[in-house]
Amino acid sequence: MTDTRKPVESMLTDYDIFEPGFVANPYPGYSEIRESECPIAHTDRYQGSWLPTRYEDVVAIAQEHEIFTSRGILVMPPIPGQNEGAYGAVAAPPITSDPPDHHWHRRLILPVFAPQAVAKYEQSTRDLCNALIDEFIDKGTADAAADYAQHIPVRVISNMLGVPLDMEETFTGWVRGVLENMTDMELRKRSRLAIIEYFLAQVEDRKKNPRENDLISELMNTEVEGKKVPIEYVLGVCNLMLVAGIDTTWSAIGSVMWHMAQHPEHRKELRENDDLWPTAIEELLRVYAPVTMARIVDRDIEFQGCPMKAGDRVLMAFPAANRDPRQFENPDEVILDREHNRHVAFGSGIHRCAGSNLARLEVRVALQTWLERIPEFELVDPATVTWAGGQVHGPRSCMVKF
Amino acid sequence: MCAIAAPEVFGSDELGNAKVLILGDIPAELEGKVRRAEANCPERAILISE
Repeated sequence: MTDTRKPVESMLTDYDIFEPGFVANPYPGYSEIRESECPIAHTDRYQGSWLPTRYEDVVAIAQEHEIFTSRGILVMPPIPGQNEGAYGAVAAPPITSDPPDHHWHRRLILPVFAPQAVAKYEQSTRDLCNALIDEFIDKGTADAAADYAQHIPVRVISNMLGVPLDMEETFTGWVRGVLENMTDMELRKRSRLAIIEYFLAQVEDRKKNPRENDLISELMNTEVEGKKVPIEYVLGVCNLMLVAGIDTTWSAIGSVMWHMAQHPEHRKELRENDDLWPTAIEELLRVYAPVTMARIVDRDIEFQGCPMKAGDRVLMAFPAANRDPRQFENPDEVILDREHNRHVAFGSGIHRCAGSNLARLEVRVALQTWLERIPEFELVDPATVTWAGGQVHGPRSCMVKF
Repeated sequence: MCAIAAPEVFGSDELGNAKVLILGDIPAELEGKVRRAEANCPERAILISE
């Protein structure tokens, strides 16, 4: 396919988050905007958006949830005819909800993702990582993104929801349809509908054949103020688990693998010092934060000199904020024992990622298991690594040899 | 984050909200860990009173 997009005239007034160079490496572009006189860029592309890049601005927007609402959270406008609202055709509460619904939506899923609750998935995650490595360890080469990272979150989540693991490829296809091919409206619509239809069938099946110990059943039986939660909420959470939990974590794992393939000194430090892991994982999440979320401006306001109108889209570039030199010393450098690291890879405020502890566990176990089995490895050819970007940034193919 | 930096001091309740596990003064040997939790809390939700 030839690229027919018009060249970017200026990052400050015409950025294009889907431009292939920016998708592969967005950091120079973010830095150009952040260090300019106008650290909140604007573009007319894709029906227009604002792009704050400084840590302070991104956090302020994330905190001001009444002005910067979550009626729309994707970096692209909605599909024509489809509602962006909290109970739109395929919402994903609580991520797309605003208060007051947001509070009970979020309260119901937080316990599922508390540190001690996700700890029970550690061994099964380790087992599935080992099984993936078994497939390629004798070949001396593997795609660290497509043969490894890509399979981990989708299997963990299928296991949590209680759906068959053979849905893995289908789920991955749907999630990529929603998040990675954002300029293809028809594909987005089909993918979103497919997710909801699939989980509706899962819910119907559980009504006929009740089960225990899976998240879908637990959600169906949850009561709020004496009434079972609406079915839309159950479907929304299932949608959220896929859309928010798969592409994102797999992208983080992929970026971490890409980094480690190029940094033998970091592999060595991690192998030799167990105490380094907690800060190292946070540091890798800071530098390779995969997610950019959008907000919809509720009413006309001036924010940092920018005339924002009701309905405008604001892209919270967490990856840009995480490399702001005003907040982080030597921001582009990976410092595994970084002491002060108030990063926003998981966002900030009331919509801060509910699944962060699960994501941390998956990233840590994926890297630990790989380093135990394959301590030395390198990129086959840096030029052949391919990337996804826009909403979620991470490698989609990353060949390594060992 | 706090539960990772100082698991002896921070945990979560049955609703999944972060919670302080120790009543009263923080033991001296945990002070470093608690300061790290404070410095890394993305919500600036930890206040140490001295």
